Amino acid sequence: MLINLIEVLSVLAIPFLILFIVAYGAIKKVKVYELFVEGAKEGFNVGVRIIPFLVAMLVAIGVFRSSGAMDFLATLLAPLTNLIGMPAEALPVAIMRPLSGSGTLGLISEVMKTHGPDSLIGRMVSVIMGSGETTFYVLAVYFGSVSISKTRHAVPAGIIADIVGILMSVWIVNWMFG
Amino acid sequence: MLNYIWISLLAIGIIVAVSKDVSDLSSDKFRNGKELNVVFKMDSTSRVESIFIAQEQFNQFYNTSETNDIQTKAELRFLDSTSGTISLLLNETSPIIWKQLSKAQKKENHLSGKIALSGTRAKIIFDEVKFTTINSVTNDGFFSSAKTAVTLAIGLIGIMALWLGIMKIAEESGLIARLALFFKPIMTRIFPDVPADHPAMGAMMMNISANMLGLSNAATPFGLKAMEHLNSLNKKMGTATDAMCTFLVINTSNVQLIPATVIAIRASLGSSSPTEILGASIVATTVNTIVGVAVVKLLAKLPKYKSESA
Repeated sequence: MLINLIEVLSVLAIPFLILFIVAYGAIKKVKVYELFVEGAKEGFNVGVRIIPFLVAMLVAIGVFRSSGAMDFLATLLAPLTNLIGMPAEALPVAIMRPLSGSGTLGLISEVMKTHGPDSLIGRMVSVIMGSGETTFYVLAVYFGSVSISKTRHAVPAGIIADIVGILMSVWIVNWMFG
Repeated sequence: MLNYIWISLLAIGIIVAVSKDVSDLSSDKFRNGKELNVVFKMDSTSRVESIFIAQEQFNQFYNTSETNDIQTKAELRFLDSTSGTISLLLNETSPIIWKQLSKAQKKENHLSGKIALSGTRAKIIFDEVKFTTINSVTNDGFFSSAKTAVTLAIGLIGIMALWLGIMKIAEESGLIARLALFFKPIMTRIFPDVPADHPAMGAMMMNISANMLGLSNAATPFGLKAMEHLNSLNKKMGTATDAMCTFLVINTSNVQLIPATVIAIRASLGSSSPTEILGASIVATTVNTIVGVAVVKLLAKLPKYKSESA
């Protein structure tokens, strides 16, 4: 029931949003076509402007991922996971979450295939995926679009928020389903 | 901070890759260039060829601990009557070391090598693999990622153009201003240094709403527009303002209410209740956003970060 509703909503959301905005514009008698083109012009510059930032970020993440350093880091941090009630298999997911969306997707599918989506660990990785974001990609794209390389406290704050999100996911899944 | 993280990702990656390869080489993990004795079976009726190795013999050769005898289908190509090349077809039950070797050879579920036959016995020498991890760091890590970054950015141009066009209509028709007005009490508290009627407020609100609804491909263009507006208030180009940092943290902490992708995966993997994680996910994301905003506000007061702003 709920899943059907969500499916319908996610299919309809975008076309309806666009229709709503354009129709609202037409009702308010603005020149919708001309304005659209004028706004769309900026798309190109933004896309090009973020390239160097995105290359820098994705290369570093790519090197980290392809070296298998993930497993190494997971082994290193493994003693901590028991302490907070996190299964060892969920740790790579937590480390991957801020780095790569597709990477996390691959990992959680793997975990859920092995343990089942309705297992405690399956639920935990689902919540970690659902409540997290690819922090470093967002940082590169957003700051890159206005050519900002001095990011000040955005990075530490973002990482602290990520860690809190993960701890929260682990705790709440253990509490609700454990 | 980003400098340190950037160098750490690169350095850890390269060091781990090199040490892995060196340890594989020094322990001769894949037995490069060494002959593996196998029994060769050619079934004349079904024309299926296969090779067979006893469990203890395999374990002795690779220093592994397989629990079954190894039997694998193979494709053989003769160069002369007693020698040729062989390609083993691996499956789920194949030994882990072979799967790793096959990956290192960059063959998908195949393992290639040379074979010398004498009757039903044969000797196989698998194609040599060396420095596989560091090669994959160079190719996948550096080169492919650089290419991917450009592909992503170029791909974003179309989506950006679409949503920036739509946004312009929403801006001129007064829709964004109305949205901003509605959320003014909260927004002016979160972003005290942005004037309440500044276009950045509306753009940020559009971004946050799109994010909440899970419309991530609309959220990014809205967010970048907001960054542009915020940057117009920036007195020190190239350095982030407090408002930008706060806005960034709201974005990186993910305010999405319905994680549709995760729910879809859970459904596809046969979950009996794909949406049961909704409540937990909403709580986790709300807490991390609130904590994120609190932390970003606190950190902004630190002398170290304060001195960097204009």
